Amino acid sequence: MKLLRETYLVLRKDLVLQVRRRDSLLTMFFFGTLLLFVFHFSFDLVPDRVSELAPGLLWLAFLFTGTLGLAQLFGAERENQCLDALLLSPLDRGALFLAKACLNFTLMLLVELVITPLFWILFNLQTWNLVPQVFFIALLGTVGFCVLGTVMSALTLRARARELLLPLVLFPLMIPVILATIQCLAAVFRAGEIGDALPWLRLLIGFDVIFLTLGVLVFDWVMEV
Amino acid sequence: MRLTVQKLSKAYGFFWALKDLNLELPPGELVALLGPNGAGKTTLLRLIAGLTPPSLGTIELDSLPPSRANGSARAQIGLFTPAAHLYEDLTVRENLEFFTSLYGQNPGAGNIDAALATVDLSARADGLVSTLSSGMKCRLSIAKWNLLKPGLLLLDEPYGVLDGSGVDLLEEFLKAHCRKGNLVILASHHVSRVLKICSRAIILHRGRMTFNAPRQQPWPDFDKAFQEFLPHGDS
Repeated sequence: MKLLRETYLVLRKDLVLQVRRRDSLLTMFFFGTLLLFVFHFSFDLVPDRVSELAPGLLWLAFLFTGTLGLAQLFGAERENQCLDALLLSPLDRGALFLAKACLNFTLMLLVELVITPLFWILFNLQTWNLVPQVFFIALLGTVGFCVLGTVMSALTLRARARELLLPLVLFPLMIPVILATIQCLAAVFRAGEIGDALPWLRLLIGFDVIFLTLGVLVFDWVMEV
Repeated sequence: MRLTVQKLSKAYGFFWALKDLNLELPPGELVALLGPNGAGKTTLLRLIAGLTPPSLGTIELDSLPPSRANGSARAQIGLFTPAAHLYEDLTVRENLEFFTSLYGQNPGAGNIDAALATVDLSARADGLVSTLSSGMKCRLSIAKWNLLKPGLLLLDEPYGVLDGSGVDLLEEFLKAHCRKGNLVILASHHVSRVLKICSRAIILHRGRMTFNAPRQQPWPDFDKAFQEFLPHGDS
């Protein structure tokens, strides 16, 4: 209960700061939209190439916008040495991890809610019935991205070129999530259901559960590095 | 709260910021931590606060190590740095509510209002911290630690941005805090000012403790150490 109460306290504070600043959300939203337009002008998504290209394009848009959010994840704590204030307090480091992961998940979710229908409109896709399944798989991928991304964002917090370093250390470790999400999305675009991509879905869920648990357990050590 | 430090050392690369520091401070003391720039004052405060791990040695609070995993032990340590540790885009009241909740306290609006009234910030309670001056932020920090009531309060150069009444406020708060049996360690370059309120003085010089004694009047040993290690101080 203490862990959840502290997670709620930090998350509420971060959401209030996001509402007042709006910089992370607006940047992510405009960058995501911009990426979709770039993809729209670069690729001709004819119906027989949809299952081949759409999963990668959509997930890339989510990944890049999410990376922008991760770079700003501890922005409020970097000002006025507020990270020291949090580390000095009796706050459970696991609660700090959960709050930051939830914050990034919330921001990505809001962006995905806009980007996903925009993707269908821009590429003139007729398969609107697939949107809920695509959105569900994207959410599972987003959870994996957020939990591992939060750990990596904290690890690079004190690095000088952290904005450059973060994607370099994050993306190689994200390969299982990237592969599993794209394979699941491809199956949905191809057959309208997960079907033969079920093992990939299991991998994705397993990754989410393992790294969520690991994040809570190791974040104390991560903050000391 | 009793602080015991044994053979404490901190190295940054090949540079020893602190070396072989031994210290035993009983509850209720107001300790002046003095020394020129680079003497190791801030390093010592951060080590005691648990924000920096020591290279060697141990720190104990009431005979227990202030373990990182031990949240209740961490709640007993406060670090006062002027105009820091406050969220700029939260209001004055929201900052106090957030930190008191984080420390497991539920002071209620009345206590927060009273704490703000003490530091003359009632009129700015619903204003963003970013709109406060540095001195006002320092006053807000006084209100914050007044509400959190740590058993060990560490202060790093608290006088810098405070005006005359702010300094009086801070000193009254520190004296009252010590009277309740809490330990206060105050690092400052304002030697004459801290000597008036302290019960003990410690002088650090190049990472080593060169003087540590309870306050006396007159204080020939301190004067001698002061001339030797703080020749440019304002005493």
